[in-house]
Amino acid sequence: MAEVPIQRHRLENGLRVILSRDPRAPVVAVNLWYDVGSKHEKAGKTGFAHLFEHMMFQGSANVEKGQHFSLIQAAGGTLNASTWLDRTNYYETLPGHELELALWLEADRMASLLPAMTQEKLDNQRDVVKNERRWSVDNQPYGDWDELIQALVYPKGHPYHHSTIGSMEDLSAASLDDVREFFATYYAPNNAVLTIAGDFEADAALDMVRRHFGPIPPNRELPAPPDMTVDPLIGSEVRETKADQVPLPRIYWAHRAPPFGTDEFDALDVAADVLGSGRASRLYASLVREQRLAQDVSVFAFPIVGGASLFTLWATARPGIAPETLEAATLAEVDRLAIDGPTDADLERVRNLHAAHSAGSLERIGERADRLSMYACLFDEPERINSEVARYAAVDAARVSEALRASVRSDNRVTLTYVPAEAAS
Amino acid sequence: MTVARPPAGAPRPYRFPDFVRHRLPNGLGVWLVPLPERELVSVHLLTDAGAAAEDEPSAGVAALTAQLLVTGTRRLDAAAFAETTERLGIEVSSESSWDSARAGFTALGSKLGDGLDLLAEMLRTPRLDEGEFDRLKAERLNDILQARADPGRLADESFLREVYAPDSPYGRLSAGTPESVESLTVQAVRDYHASRYAPDVADVVVAGAIEPDAALDAVERHLGDWSGTGPGHRTLEPRQRGGRRVVLVDRPGSVQSELRVGHLGINRHHPRYFPAMVMAALLGGVFGSRLNRRLREELGYTYGARCSFDPRRAPGPFTASAAVQTEVTVDAIRELIGQLERIGQATPDDDELTDVRNFLVGVFPLRFETTSGIAAALEPLAIYDLPDDYWHTYRSHLEAVTPQDVLDAARELVRPDEALILLTGDAGRVRDELEAAELGPLEVIPAS
Repeated sequence: MAEVPIQRHRLENGLRVILSRDPRAPVVAVNLWYDVGSKHEKAGKTGFAHLFEHMMFQGSANVEKGQHFSLIQAAGGTLNASTWLDRTNYYETLPGHELELALWLEADRMASLLPAMTQEKLDNQRDVVKNERRWSVDNQPYGDWDELIQALVYPKGHPYHHSTIGSMEDLSAASLDDVREFFATYYAPNNAVLTIAGDFEADAALDMVRRHFGPIPPNRELPAPPDMTVDPLIGSEVRETKADQVPLPRIYWAHRAPPFGTDEFDALDVAADVLGSGRASRLYASLVREQRLAQDVSVFAFPIVGGASLFTLWATARPGIAPETLEAATLAEVDRLAIDGPTDADLERVRNLHAAHSAGSLERIGERADRLSMYACLFDEPERINSEVARYAAVDAARVSEALRASVRSDNRVTLTYVPAEAAS
Repeated sequence: MTVARPPAGAPRPYRFPDFVRHRLPNGLGVWLVPLPERELVSVHLLTDAGAAAEDEPSAGVAALTAQLLVTGTRRLDAAAFAETTERLGIEVSSESSWDSARAGFTALGSKLGDGLDLLAEMLRTPRLDEGEFDRLKAERLNDILQARADPGRLADESFLREVYAPDSPYGRLSAGTPESVESLTVQAVRDYHASRYAPDVADVVVAGAIEPDAALDAVERHLGDWSGTGPGHRTLEPRQRGGRRVVLVDRPGSVQSELRVGHLGINRHHPRYFPAMVMAALLGGVFGSRLNRRLREELGYTYGARCSFDPRRAPGPFTASAAVQTEVTVDAIRELIGQLERIGQATPDDDELTDVRNFLVGVFPLRFETTSGIAAALEPLAIYDLPDDYWHTYRSHLEAVTPQDVLDAARELVRPDEALILLTGDAGRVRDELEAAELGPLEVIPAS
């Protein structure tokens, strides 16, 4: 589809509603972004936004524990939710004729989560989340890299200083009072975006939205957004080495970068692809294929909007390759791109890959709804979904060089090196 | 519920896209799925050159051959091939499983001709360069090292090794073992490609923004004069090791135990295939399944518990799995086994079965949102010779599954008494309790 159609509405209680009709398949996606993520957590409450997301599946006034999942699945739908630094999203994709079921379930928990809350449910989900942390972080090789990186890139007290999964201690301390306060503060219609995409009739869908979400009162006292201010550069080189149960050394490099949504971020996005996307990328060609120093490489700019985002790279050393050798070779490639800029061939390659990936992502109605919610929630501009490819293609060689020179430099770099525990001792 | 769920509207029917099949004179099967209003096209080229087509002493040669294909052609070296394809916005993939090797790509429809041209060149005249072979072989060996440091992947690999009898190829990963990969040479890969990649054991699926006649012309132009014959796969008859056993793979310092419980499962043509799929979903395939409800939502022992079959040409494993915190390891095993026993003791409630069946039936169109999803859906038809109306009758097969069918499938196909209980975890913390629990003869082995 060449252009994603967009209709914007706003209910009196402040709920932003985005409709994007596409009747090609008889399926519909419902997607809610709440403007609350781990950056909103208070000291001593790390991990709470995510734990709260779990509590949203524990029932509400008219829905029993587990029933949100079972009703959607029995209707032939899929669903889930996720929490990240800036936001929390909830989503269902289901047959179009069951649209109202998803809206009703989302509205019921937005309106009336608290009557269903119990200590037993909180204790159960606290255990589940602790096991999620053990599984994805504590028992996983290199599993705590993003937690360590965030703590080193952002100063203590900054909302991005801690990870979304949070600490075991803080999870243990979470109480039902915290659930009540968090719900009352952030889970209000005027702090959310609701997107419906796919097979539906606009008038009927809007009626359903008004009926189910219209009566939910707004929070008239939404707190001011957290202060995300941070110096654009770290100001010095930061190095940390961690001995872990890993067979091969791996190095993570992270830099403060301009936030998602800026022209500079787009330029870094292009830089990341020139360096790390595909077998013709600079780092794969040089480190993996030609010099054979690395088992794998990856480059990624975090799409986050507060103060500073993150431009990260990682590379896993082949056996017998010293981390210092891998580091020197990697940074040489990055510096070469910063100084010389990408070639026309580089830009043609990443632009065509990006256009194909973007078309591939938007084939999925759930992904389309999620991006509409994202652009509406973060920038109040869902129309950005239709300029993604053009923004990317507008980045020229000079902008790539400038963005790299401004952010990807040694006095703005955290270097985290994992080494095998046996080798370290 | 005090307020009832809103009623559903009138369902709009969904039909799996129609496709046309051709067979070229050289034996190549051609499957064309025109999808109007699509921007993209997906091409999947399947060859009966998966791990089941390799000789056991050269285990892993199928996987390395598939991976080496993307490192260039006689005309274009590795760098030039990557550059040429990616400048078209095409990322060519090539990989193998037990039952087939698959090469393909997804691209904007306007790039179909160029993409097919390069894909055909890659399959017919690959470079199979020694230097690139050495690199990929080393990367595969490194990946095995990495996998063994990851408790979940370590448990998966160990489970296969322990659940199958030692002479059963399925007891290893399809990509081979360190020993077998170590012994492979570039000549073995060249021989494998020359003898196994041939049009009479291959099928190409093209789905998306195509006009069928033009797409058929393009396939004929690039692959019509491909010649040769291939032997295809050998017949595997995997056997299980003895009865109930407990194997603990010691991974000191683990804060969770990765559990894998199961035994031999079914092949793709098993007469109880559909009841088995419904039963596995009810037991451990959806969020509200018995395993996940009990171990996660009631006990909080895990982030998730599940089970599944892995049907192949010959019986792949049936596996129930969960990562549980170390402190509750033994109780979690008991609970998990308890659910495997319970599923064979009584028919499920009508409501429970209806919900699961409705999920599998209703989610049907969601599986085919993308051109690559539709192309992938035709793969089992080509690989396992399923009927052309397979997807058109799929939902009625599911809807026909009764509570008694589920019970019968469970009694035949879920056998906790002969299940292998394998776990990776900290032996220093769980061994004594495991021994005392008398779940079966216990063997403790180090994580290699």
